[in-house]
Amino acid sequence: MEFLINFIISWLPIFAIYGILSISLNLEIGYTGMANFGKVAFYAIGAYLSAALTMSVMLSLVGKSVPLYSIEAVQALSTPGTGAIYTHPAAYVGLFVLSLVLAFIVAGVVGYFITYPTLRVGPAFLGITVLAFGEMFRVFMRNYEPLGSTKGLFGLNNPFIWIGNPQLSQGLFALVSLALLLAIYIYAERFVNSPLGRTLRAIKDDEVAALCLGKHVPRVKATVFFIASGMAGVAGVLWTFYQGSVQPDTFVPILTFYVWAMVILGGMGNNLGALLGAAVFTLVDRVLTFAAGMMGPSLIIPPNYLRWMIVGIVIVLVLLFRPEGIRPAKPIKTPAWEAVKEVSEGG
Amino acid sequence: MAEPILEVKDVAKYFGGVRALDGVTLSVQKGGLIGLIGPNGSGKTTLFNVITGFYVPTRGEVWFEGERIDGLNPNEVYLKGIVRTFQIPRLFPSLTVLENVLLTPPNQIGEKPLYAVLRSRWEKQEKELAKKAVKLLRRFGLGRYIHANVSELSAAHIKLLETIRGLMTNAKLYLLDEPAAGVAYDMAKEMFSFVKRLRDEEGLTFFIIEHRLEVLMEFVDYVYVLHNGKLLAEGKPDEVVQNKAVIEAYLGG
Repeated sequence: MEFLINFIISWLPIFAIYGILSISLNLEIGYTGMANFGKVAFYAIGAYLSAALTMSVMLSLVGKSVPLYSIEAVQALSTPGTGAIYTHPAAYVGLFVLSLVLAFIVAGVVGYFITYPTLRVGPAFLGITVLAFGEMFRVFMRNYEPLGSTKGLFGLNNPFIWIGNPQLSQGLFALVSLALLLAIYIYAERFVNSPLGRTLRAIKDDEVAALCLGKHVPRVKATVFFIASGMAGVAGVLWTFYQGSVQPDTFVPILTFYVWAMVILGGMGNNLGALLGAAVFTLVDRVLTFAAGMMGPSLIIPPNYLRWMIVGIVIVLVLLFRPEGIRPAKPIKTPAWEAVKEVSEGG
Repeated sequence: MAEPILEVKDVAKYFGGVRALDGVTLSVQKGGLIGLIGPNGSGKTTLFNVITGFYVPTRGEVWFEGERIDGLNPNEVYLKGIVRTFQIPRLFPSLTVLENVLLTPPNQIGEKPLYAVLRSRWEKQEKELAKKAVKLLRRFGLGRYIHANVSELSAAHIKLLETIRGLMTNAKLYLLDEPAAGVAYDMAKEMFSFVKRLRDEEGLTFFIIEHRLEVLMEFVDYVYVLHNGKLLAEGKPDEVVQNKAVIEAYLGG
């Protein structure tokens, strides 16, 4: 039982992070038809922004002016009991919340401005531009000393670590992550089941025809990109506080394709499908991590390889037997249906 | 004669050395049913593309209801009140027939990103539009297909749907690109008599590209003939079919 609880507590935040990422990717590719190959960039922006913001404010609260990446900073922040994240709980939780809001806005605005000029030229350009942007961001961070270059930033922890009981604080964080995921899921569901959702599907089907019906296609796409990138930023914040640190090499391009695999598995154009895809992949991942930890060196194949083999096999199987994913695209639902019924019943 | 709703003034469109349009001047009267004919490659669709904002003309001006519209984007041209259909119909296959119609009204409240998630803001408008759409579909015999996927419709119904959905808005000018192509003769005639009905009942204006002259000539009031990007002839249908230059252009090439 104890083991199961620990397992779930360690899995839920990861599920929430990838759930948010796959819902956001699904808004782009599943509903609007924008191939975002650089999801990781906006995730990384959220992660770095929250780490840098939280660490610098916490350090100035305890009157330390040391570089964020220094060992003194790590000590001042996270020495159990006396570190800033234990002695200033309200500020710490407040910064967590502030990070969520700021990450959404900053990642969203960056997404809007990067994509707006490329959206007019065609889907391939968008994908390549953001892919390149993500790599540029990672390489820049690897070399940017104030934010720790290759080593990254350390010294943070779960936002509820000051409670003292690790299971309780981790459980709380898991619940908060889950609540965020739920909120984003509900938001996405409402977003697509609306006249705007209808326009998104139309744009996915035929951009030119949508343009001919007066839809400002580039603006609509950039708006979706803003929202989806903002969501990825929020996921990045969760990652920082889950991991307690950020390293540039977490944000490699393969992470984007991991999210793609989730969306393909779950079903493009279906938010619940995206969630399911994220659940399956993160669960497999966690189980492997736990199992590898227990079996240790007796594993013939290192778990990292096994993970990717399983991902590959699952994708092939899904494409063979359920090419539309676990949950195929769902028709949009607006009150128009009710109105049609009223008309039909009225004669 | 009624006032012109659309005026094309000395419009030219060059693609490198190719002069797709080379100084075309014509006007479409309000409430008219005007034909645009010409051999393949004579610039008919290019002219439609210039009018609807897909191309910026190399030279010349396009005026719609006293406003200059060349250089506007296609979505802006639509908002001025010009609806265009395509040679190969472009409906949205992942939407139902009803949704294809509901897409047409511009500036819906529920299309604004901030309001889309607040259902109460747009629910009333959405229901009103849906009722209007159902009435429209029933009026033109598509009532059975309200929730059907567009792929279930016949070619003629698809063309019909593409045209009538413009009635959801207050569009005034319809540019139809070969409405009768790929449709059986009887259906083609039906299509045109329905266009005529719309013109008479709703006071709409139609500007129609058509290759099937046998159908077109029966219905239109006036015809423009394009050839090699230039206006070759214009006039009433019976005058045009007897015009020697026109016959030569069509037969001689």
